[in-house]
Amino acid sequence: METISKAIKKKDHDSKISGQALYADDYVMNGMLYGRLLGSSKARARITAIIIPDLPEGYLVVDKYDVPGTNRVQIIQDDTPVFAEETVEFVGDPILMVVGPEYNKVESILENIVVLYEELVPTFNMRKADTVFFDYHYAKGDFDKAQDEADHIFEETFQTGHQEHAYLETQGIIAYPHAGRMVIRGSMQCPYYVHTAVTKALGYDARNVQVIQETTGGGFGGKEDFPSILACQTAAAALKTNRPVKVIFNRREDMAFTSKRHPSVCTYKVAVKDNMITGMGIDLILNGGAYTTHSSVVLQRALISSSGVYKIDNLRVAGRAVKTNMVPSGAYRGFGSPQTIFALEMMMDHVARKLGTESLEFKEKHMVKQGDTTATSGKHHFHVPLPEMIQRINELTDYPAKRKRYSRQSGRYRRGMGLALSFHGCGFTGSAEGEHIKPVVRIRKAADDQVEILTGNTDMGQGLKTTFCKIVGETLGIPFEQVLIENPDTDRVPDSGPTVASRSIMIVGSLLQQAAEKLRQIWQTGEEQIVEEHYVEPKFIIPFDLERFRGDAYPTYSWAVNAVEVEIDTLTAETRILGAWGIYDVGVPIDLNIIQGQMQGGLLQGIGYAAMEKIDYNAQGIIRNNNFSDYSIPTAMDVPNLVTEVINNPYTHGPYGAKGAGELSFAGAAPAYVEALENALGVDLNKVPFTMEDTMGVLREVHHHD
Amino acid sequence: MVNGYQARSLQEALDILSSEAVIPYSGGTDLMKKANGNATYLFLNKVPEMKNIREDRKYIRIGAGCTFTEIIESELTPAILKEAAALVAAPAIRNLGTVGGNICNGSPKADCALIFFVTDSKLRLVSKKGERVIPISEFYLGRNHTILQKDELLVEIFMNKTGFENYCYKKVGARKALTMSRVSFAAILNMADGKITQCMIAFGAVGEVILRRKEIDDMLIGRTIPEARAVKENYLAAYEQAINPVQGRISAEYKKTVCMNLLGDFLDSKGI
Repeated sequence: METISKAIKKKDHDSKISGQALYADDYVMNGMLYGRLLGSSKARARITAIIIPDLPEGYLVVDKYDVPGTNRVQIIQDDTPVFAEETVEFVGDPILMVVGPEYNKVESILENIVVLYEELVPTFNMRKADTVFFDYHYAKGDFDKAQDEADHIFEETFQTGHQEHAYLETQGIIAYPHAGRMVIRGSMQCPYYVHTAVTKALGYDARNVQVIQETTGGGFGGKEDFPSILACQTAAAALKTNRPVKVIFNRREDMAFTSKRHPSVCTYKVAVKDNMITGMGIDLILNGGAYTTHSSVVLQRALISSSGVYKIDNLRVAGRAVKTNMVPSGAYRGFGSPQTIFALEMMMDHVARKLGTESLEFKEKHMVKQGDTTATSGKHHFHVPLPEMIQRINELTDYPAKRKRYSRQSGRYRRGMGLALSFHGCGFTGSAEGEHIKPVVRIRKAADDQVEILTGNTDMGQGLKTTFCKIVGETLGIPFEQVLIENPDTDRVPDSGPTVASRSIMIVGSLLQQAAEKLRQIWQTGEEQIVEEHYVEPKFIIPFDLERFRGDAYPTYSWAVNAVEVEIDTLTAETRILGAWGIYDVGVPIDLNIIQGQMQGGLLQGIGYAAMEKIDYNAQGIIRNNNFSDYSIPTAMDVPNLVTEVINNPYTHGPYGAKGAGELSFAGAAPAYVEALENALGVDLNKVPFTMEDTMGVLREVHHHD
Repeated sequence: MVNGYQARSLQEALDILSSEAVIPYSGGTDLMKKANGNATYLFLNKVPEMKNIREDRKYIRIGAGCTFTEIIESELTPAILKEAAALVAAPAIRNLGTVGGNICNGSPKADCALIFFVTDSKLRLVSKKGERVIPISEFYLGRNHTILQKDELLVEIFMNKTGFENYCYKKVGARKALTMSRVSFAAILNMADGKITQCMIAFGAVGEVILRRKEIDDMLIGRTIPEARAVKENYLAAYEQAINPVQGRISAEYKKTVCMNLLGDFLDSKGI
């Protein structure tokens, strides 16, 4: 273990454990008003009239006419309205906001507003969607030729579902005018995204918008795009009333009306020659929901990751993100890759079974190694430690023997063991980092020699304040306590890019290390000094051409091997998880405790995605289970034996050898879980979530054929 | 701010209940989910008559205000009840929530209510005007709908003192903690002199009310195991017909399959 990896007390430990950390909902300002949104009750309709009751003094309605700039939220594109225009496109599409001094009164006014709709035919089925938001494709080698020469061609379709982020703190924003400017405070991952969106919606000069992140209780991608939307709405209300306005979502609103993981349908066509895969044709549909938000980049990552950790010489990959009249899908840990990695891992498993080989052996024969080309004809520049990771998981789990033993079982309880190989491309897809983001960091040393880190990155529970301070402290050779970091305030920090894509440590942490190194060299005790550092793309990278999907989509990859062992009660279809394992390569962990938290949390989140988390839409497009009683996520009781380990594999271009970590832990869980079910049930399965009811369906079939 | 009365005795509680529009509030774990700022609550957690677990000559008498934790820790309560109480939600809820609330809330998913059904327990309902003791099977009119009168409180539950040792209990939920029953099943079978003397079966979460069909179970009473085996097909067919879960978010087909699987397995385990 490297010295820096040794776990220390987190920078924000005391303030959180003592309850002193303030979240958006903790703030009460003088003259503050409360806002609540009125969302559409129809999945697709034209608004014909809005009937607003007489409002008591001090209460106001804010809608599209109150957005002085553009009534659009700048995300990647700007199709998301701040407030609905002529039509509504999903149940919950925000039409207006009621604001006033008393929350309960705001709520009762909201209940008495009548919206008249002319209903239009909604689309819920992504396969039948006629609006295609994004359509990408790429190829490598010659898939047609691979098919012509193949001994076998296998084709299967896989499905994945929505997933709710289920962060502890719901969405919340406060906006207030101050000295001719607009100030936004709240729960968010990306203050500069919010800054850009609010500037455009208000039609302000960028200098006149200030965004401050408050302590944020979890994000997982759910606070990547959504806070921009809520901030524009709240800012419009604050401008109209000339007062501070606070909007905090209750859990039902948050679950029903904010972004989710993209559901997918994915078809794999696999050409096999001499028991080896020679080519893959992959076709993906992502359900984008009502507006584009982050669908383009989610689709890109999904497609680039679709051949996973395997070397496939002939590839033909195509995918579309389509519009449906459902809540807009957005960023969520893994960002598209868990969908294709699930399909891919299941496909590898099924093809192996058809060829009469064991799944893991078959996968091992196809694994990439250093020097191999990537799916997009880039290069795996660095060591791929999968073989030693597989060896370690076999030691821990006795996987091959158990899998064999479990393949023939009878009796009430049946066990199964599954294993998945996965990776996560670290950082933004393609050349975005150098071309669009252009991150900047600053370190300011005060006259008292206290050092402050100034970046736009946020700590949402993932430990960024701690890891950033460790990197800077270690580089400067000063104690951790001498390095300070506050929640970012766009008036004080440069734009070092959003807190997404497992980029913060690898990209921003690296810039901080360089800045600290510079400061160390010019350090003058008792002087105020400021050092600034700008991103430069590493020389080894093969430039990525987004038009053709060619080149290095990512500078490097983090690797994961996951195993899950289950026991199914054939009477009830209840599935108990006997163990879940993860061996992870994140380069070098900057803090072992933090990494363990990320790895265990992501693994469990992935098990929830695979086993029980199911968003239940009714025929009208309403999410019926918008609460934690009806939308089940796993509890600690559901995974008694959770083992995660990291291996040491320093990345030459990351700070202290670190690379991306946060998202890596997620993708392998679902295929490992479903493969374990297959092992127990003796059938091929092709979707997540695979719930108890689905398992019972299989058991009834099996029983029927007995 | 919440308006309410804190009753110190059963008499005081009944007085308030007969004269004021109040919502009886015991542990509050269900009521808090739909807290009503305009309502007036009658807090029952300090009513001593509702907090005891004791036994008389015939019954174990469980105060309706006893928490699930108190049920689990009591030396008097039978194992089948402890097991169900231990699977209610999570420790914090078990420390506050009460068996009385579990019954009066009127949910067919209620974990402890299922046990009171399968054990043919009785409910002591008291008002200012008097009291009545009724079998729990007569208490429910439908989901969230009971015969409890506005001025009446469920004060105690009477369980027989013996006869529940040979039980089978199964709660099927989506996860292992903080979960509501998708299906629940409880069964008791007693024999004497080679003959079945008692067969009691109940299913939760399969209809508007917990399902307990004595007339079906009576098919097995007085029979030896081989004789019971002979009528097993008819017995199962009767339940097959009786169990008609409502199609909801959890499929009716799933629920019914689980019920029949668990019932079949229970009979198998007894050699029937």
